[in-house]
Amino acid sequence: MPDLNLILLVLVGLPFAAGFLCLALPFKPVRVVLVFATCLALATASVLLIRQPFVDHPGDSLFGADLRTIIQVADFLLLGLILFYGLLRKSLLVLLTGLAQAGLLVYLEFFKLGHGHTHPAFAWNTISLIIVVIVCFVGSLICIYALPYMKEHSSHQKGLGQPRFFMVLILFLGAMNGLLLANDLLYFYFFFEATTLCSFLLIGHNNDEISRKNSTLALWMNSLGGLFLLGGITLLYEKTGVLDFQGLTSQGPLSGLPLLAVALFCLAGMVKAAQLPFQGWLLGAMVAPTPTSALLHSSTMVKAGVYLIFRLSPCFMTTLLGDTIAWAGALTFVLAGALAIGQSNGKKILAYSTVSNLGLIIACIGINTLSAQLAAGALIVFHAVSKGLLFLGVGAVEQNIHSRDVEDMRGLYGRMPFTALIMVLAAASMILPPFGMLLGKWTAMEAAVLNLPVAVMLALGSAITVFYWARWAGMLLSSETGAKPTREPQPLLMRSTLVMLVVAVLALAVATPILVRLFFNLPKFMTAISGPAVPPLGDFIFYALGGLVLLGLLLGLMALFGVRKKGLATLYYSGAQTTEPGEYMGPMNKPVKVLASNYYLEGLFGEKRLTLWANLAAICLLAFLVAGVFL
Amino acid sequence: MSLAKLLPFIALVAAPVAGGLIAGMDRKLTARLQSRQGPPLLQPFYDVLKLLAKQSRPSSVWLPVCSWLYFLAASCSVFLFFGGADLLLVFFVQAFGAFCLVAGAYSAPSPYSLVGAQRELLQILAYEPLIILTVIGLKLATGGFDTASALAHPAPIIMKLPLVFLALGYALTVKLRKSPFDISASHHAHQELVRGVYTEYAGPHLALAELAHWYETVLILGLVSLFWATAWWTILVIVLGSYLVEIFIDNMTARLSWQWMLGAAWGIGITLCTANMAWLVFK
Repeated sequence: MPDLNLILLVLVGLPFAAGFLCLALPFKPVRVVLVFATCLALATASVLLIRQPFVDHPGDSLFGADLRTIIQVADFLLLGLILFYGLLRKSLLVLLTGLAQAGLLVYLEFFKLGHGHTHPAFAWNTISLIIVVIVCFVGSLICIYALPYMKEHSSHQKGLGQPRFFMVLILFLGAMNGLLLANDLLYFYFFFEATTLCSFLLIGHNNDEISRKNSTLALWMNSLGGLFLLGGITLLYEKTGVLDFQGLTSQGPLSGLPLLAVALFCLAGMVKAAQLPFQGWLLGAMVAPTPTSALLHSSTMVKAGVYLIFRLSPCFMTTLLGDTIAWAGALTFVLAGALAIGQSNGKKILAYSTVSNLGLIIACIGINTLSAQLAAGALIVFHAVSKGLLFLGVGAVEQNIHSRDVEDMRGLYGRMPFTALIMVLAAASMILPPFGMLLGKWTAMEAAVLNLPVAVMLALGSAITVFYWARWAGMLLSSETGAKPTREPQPLLMRSTLVMLVVAVLALAVATPILVRLFFNLPKFMTAISGPAVPPLGDFIFYALGGLVLLGLLLGLMALFGVRKKGLATLYYSGAQTTEPGEYMGPMNKPVKVLASNYYLEGLFGEKRLTLWANLAAICLLAFLVAGVFL
Repeated sequence: MSLAKLLPFIALVAAPVAGGLIAGMDRKLTARLQSRQGPPLLQPFYDVLKLLAKQSRPSSVWLPVCSWLYFLAASCSVFLFFGGADLLLVFFVQAFGAFCLVAGAYSAPSPYSLVGAQRELLQILAYEPLIILTVIGLKLATGGFDTASALAHPAPIIMKLPLVFLALGYALTVKLRKSPFDISASHHAHQELVRGVYTEYAGPHLALAELAHWYETVLILGLVSLFWATAWWTILVIVLGSYLVEIFIDNMTARLSWQWMLGAAWGIGITLCTANMAWLVFK
């Protein structure tokens, strides 16, 4: 059994090393080998970590050097880089947030911090392990997908070069693992800000005007999150002398200024998770190449924000802060979903959907009963896999049809059957039983009985998500070609990663009862308040329902046997069909082409119309969140 | 074997029969209200049998799958409802079927079918929150999410959840495809979209969709019946009473646009539910 040191080194340190090597040796074969080797190592290490009996590690030395000092120095280097880019992009907001952070860090490190801390620098709980596995498996698949994707991408748009792209992409995996396993708050802060920088560098990859603008937006907003985080750390250390998660969460529900520090942490988490009103940076981040969107902005980095709030849940249990966090999450769930209805840009729909689902997860964390925590954990896993699959699918589609608008994906089944079906499956997995997302929502709704505003918002939000997913899935199938469509060509690595993620979605669906039992048996450092039990979904019913779905598919396929010989019936238009597909003989015997579009309900849910009100509502709620600490 | 164990199986067979009879009575009564003779009572059964006898010539490869899945989901949800399962699970299984109906309509892109599919999605958007909130209201009133708790409740639940019952009325109107909210596929033959979401469903697949609709009717009426389930005759009173009211509303109103439907369902319906549940919580 490899020892814990080695596992941690592989999980956190190896990606950093591999990333820098990618940059230092900018050759394609080297890159491919590095990506595969790192991904394999990460996947293995994460599985080994689960089987470890220990759940903390002193983490204060790296090959003999004092790691705490290294992190201290690295913190300042990181802030220096942020300020450098702020100057480069001439962004006042980046400079202000960066300088404020630097000021706080100087104050904390040089004037306040005592020495001889005894708490372990790395310590983790169930949720950390779950997200580490997601980062190492889903993240690896996305990195592998990125190899052929970026090859095609850079033939259209050179951007800042593939070596730099892959350096940041791989390095990011290490930063995520570090963030998840950290116990010391300053270590956490370092990895948190490292992911901010990675996000900035990746969004700006294309190096055109919109990328520069949006990456700067992401940088200052996430910097603001870092400022909240550092402010919370400073306040907490001044008032209580605590500098680690374990010390913080072992005291049970807090009050007064320490709770204010926790509120600041939660705000930082909400900025990272792009909750309302901070969603602007995630929407802007959609200009980045698809692997970035899939990895950072749906599966992993935004989960870091949610993870932070989850880790702190013992601190705000049974307080008003917990309730307010639940309301804020539920509000984002509804309003971000509503904003998704009004969108026709595919990646923006996915972005709003991500924001919305993260809000749902935060709402569950705020409710804080055992079943709500289970729902949050389940949603984190299922969302990461399904959303990653959707983004990768959209990326493949975009490279084929050169458009992101879902209206251009109408009838995609006729042109790209493989990818279209994968996306229909992924969209269905977000809203239908027996897939886990729906089971998570079900558990969340039952848990929300204790918190009426959340229950109402969950009911609304659930209907809203059905609307925009069913609309998209339906459109993909809306093909006129009667003939059996031919499978589109696709690079092998892209196809295999898509297939593996589909297998993951299906395997997770089948394994749900087992996963639920596993969740309750893993070592936990999470307490929970008592509430409604987990809804009873016996194994028998679960598999019976799955069997019915398979039966329906079988019967449907059998019904098609006669169709092969006779052909499909023609569609019903307003007149006789001409020989052209989608055309009929209209008035004056002139052929009329059938045009169809979709409801986007811009009058009600359009981005321009709704964003202002949504942000105002969210700002009021967050102000109450902070003020309510003292109530 | 006790009745409770056999009930879901009995319901599985009896529900389409009941649904068909309800549909027949509906057509007869509506016709009489409109000074017409109306079709025979068993006409819906004749229609379904006729459709089943037809050849399967779908206009899209997805229609057979979608119609089967819709049928299986609807029948399964009725089975689970009478089997005493969690009401939210029952609803989500039914929602699976509703999604398949829409997906099938989308897959055959005739303009009537496409618009009908989208209007069906808008209908789902309107009634889903109301039904979920009804179930949550039932939990607050009776302490459980399943039918057993509702049936075990000593007093009529409508006394505790009057406003929720009114909001459920909106969902009932939409689900039964009655005016003023029958925008996607009206229950009757007056329709500006040929047959809306069902346009491209034909032959045996339309028969499956019709049977699924009967199952769904039984399900939603079952949910209504929980509001006064103290004796067998009270169930009949509330179910037949609600259905009669729906028929009257259907004949009195014209079809309204989706904005009206969403406004009524969300604006009025959700407000009613929230007010009722808040009263229950703070009482």
